[in-house]
Amino acid sequence: MTALEQQQLPGPRSGTRRRGSPLGSKWTPYFFLAPAALFILVFQVVPLAQEVFLSFTRTSLLNPTHSTWVGFDNFARIFGDEDFRRTLLITLVYVVVCVVVAVGTGLAVALLLNKGFRGRGLARALVTIPWAAPGIAVALIAIWMLNPDYGIVNRFLDTIGLGVPGGAILDSPRYALPAILVTTIWQLFPFTSVVLLSALQAVPPHLTEAATMDGAGRWWTFRAVTWQSIKPTVGLLALLMTIWSLRRFELIWLMTKGGPVGATETLVIDLYSQAFDSKQLGSAAAVGMVGIVISLIVIAGSRFVARAAEREAR
Amino acid sequence: MRLHRIRRSMVAAVSVTGMAAALLAGCGSDGGSEGGVTKLTFAASTLGDPGRGPLLTKWLEEFNKSQNKVQVSPAAVPYPTFGQTILTQMGSGKGPDLIRFDMPEFESASDAGLIAPLNDLIDVSKYDLLKQPDQFMVHDGQRHGIIFEASNYAMFYNADLIKKAPTTYDEFVETAKSLTKGDTYGLAFRQTEAEEAGVWQDIFNYVYGFGGAWSDGKQLTINSPENLKGLQAYKDLYDAKVIPRGTDAATFRRMFAEGKVGMELNNGGYVTATRGQNADLNFNVAPIPFPVRKQGTILAPIVINEASPAKEEAATFIKWALEPANQVKLQEILGASSVATVTQRSPEKLKETPFLTVFDDLTESSLPQIVLGFEAKTPDIRKVVVKNVIAALQGTVDLKTALDNAQQEASQLVG
Repeated sequence: MTALEQQQLPGPRSGTRRRGSPLGSKWTPYFFLAPAALFILVFQVVPLAQEVFLSFTRTSLLNPTHSTWVGFDNFARIFGDEDFRRTLLITLVYVVVCVVVAVGTGLAVALLLNKGFRGRGLARALVTIPWAAPGIAVALIAIWMLNPDYGIVNRFLDTIGLGVPGGAILDSPRYALPAILVTTIWQLFPFTSVVLLSALQAVPPHLTEAATMDGAGRWWTFRAVTWQSIKPTVGLLALLMTIWSLRRFELIWLMTKGGPVGATETLVIDLYSQAFDSKQLGSAAAVGMVGIVISLIVIAGSRFVARAAEREAR
Repeated sequence: MRLHRIRRSMVAAVSVTGMAAALLAGCGSDGGSEGGVTKLTFAASTLGDPGRGPLLTKWLEEFNKSQNKVQVSPAAVPYPTFGQTILTQMGSGKGPDLIRFDMPEFESASDAGLIAPLNDLIDVSKYDLLKQPDQFMVHDGQRHGIIFEASNYAMFYNADLIKKAPTTYDEFVETAKSLTKGDTYGLAFRQTEAEEAGVWQDIFNYVYGFGGAWSDGKQLTINSPENLKGLQAYKDLYDAKVIPRGTDAATFRRMFAEGKVGMELNNGGYVTATRGQNADLNFNVAPIPFPVRKQGTILAPIVINEASPAKEEAATFIKWALEPANQVKLQEILGASSVATVTQRSPEKLKETPFLTVFDDLTESSLPQIVLGFEAKTPDIRKVVVKNVIAALQGTVDLKTALDNAQQEASQLVG
């Protein structure tokens, strides 16, 4: 399109617009933005403001309209509680392992699926199944597989001489968290592998060919070409995985409800227990605020890393 | 013209806002009146039971037929989330008009002022109420509920596997051990934190059956020697592997129905549920053979929501339910449970289920699964106790230390 043609095209304020129509007025953008803005205001800003307020009050679920202002008492109490500090540690372990292993496994599978082999289409379809399965179904199947009496996992572990004493993996403070991690990663890795596969397919082939012709080995080709191309995708995935893992509820709740003895209690499980078991909305809101602060730190950290990478690339 | 456009845009924006607000308004309150007929909602987890739910719904229909000004609709809410769902609704000034609560939630709700006092609505002197369970319906002279169902705990046993029911604790342990072979277990009880409320119900029988109690009415007594003895018995059975460890209640109850579990301590409601799973199972019931004849009972009061705009009409339903003929019908629906008033079981029912009298005879020695003197705090104390007992089962701490920890934590909690 030439510059002349561009000038002759009707602009947004010219042409055949019906006189008196609100379209084209300076209010038009606000009109179209209003529903989304209202949605965000009602479902995000107002609840968030309410949560901030609640976190500084003593409020019972049974009488939520009557709050007593207690300042920072809720925060002082939860941070003074050894159980809460353990919850933070478990959350950290859960998130880090989920992100590292899910992204790592996803990358390995994506590299495998990016190769040419017979049945590759079928393999790609099969890999997505765990991601497509509903979380509740995954949790129930995992519970069934981990059952100490008839679960296939225990039978297999017994056969190879690695059986858990008593067999009750989900009731063992030592093995419950690893079992939940394995289940979570089993469900997560297909998503990371599919996303990374699409990123791998976007790597310009001529770059890898050039690296190979320059005598680079497989590892160096991967490091210098492939990794540099997929790094932004990996960063985005790591951010998404972190936030999803921080807020994951149904899988952990269904499998252990945060037990045994708090061994799988993450922030969201603690939040739910405070709000609905102990009926303390103030404490629950304080736990939620801690979660929000952690999420904000993660997002800020990822933006910092991304910007640093951009600067380095320039 | 510009002003006109702005006005139109504003009208459009206001319309969008109005539509969104209308969508957000949500559902209306219960207890509505339509054409002179007051419509009430009665929420109960048992309304969703496969066996008893349809029969209870028919019982409600009988009430509706007998009235021309009040109609009651059933609302079945699943047991695991019943308390949370209803209490959250009531906390926000909404919820059903009539509710069948379990004791811990009943105590929390009455303490928070969410339940309508019944003193001025129902004259209970007209009815022959069962005194033992009824005493827990009154707080400081104020009546908050009427017993809808009282279901005492007893020992269920597979009569094909166990010819003579154990009558002492030692016999109980021996029977459990001798039956445990392959995929058959002598006993089953809940022992995972995922079933916190269920573990509480189960350990209650061991604590009270060995002469213990969670409190003396004024102070918590979680780490008393009697409690330690009772919970040691519970732990010994767990350690002896005579139970299917790690298996949840739904599964081991199915195993009992299939003849894979020999004994289980459960309440009267279990009779109907077991027959529903296997009508041919030859099972019997006996008192729990622990040293002290004291056991738990599931008390389920019916209450009126303080937020209901139709309390008088809701009381009409409770008064109808308390009529002798309706109490008999309700008891027949509930099976082995007792109801609010003294009733006589029919000869046909006793012939069909001879052990019904075992449950009835336990009423005077049964206690609701709440912490006396700390009723409203029971859910919080339960959480602390169960967590520590599970820690002892898992071997992370010895039982005495676990109970000491629970005593300390729970004492801090109740102030």
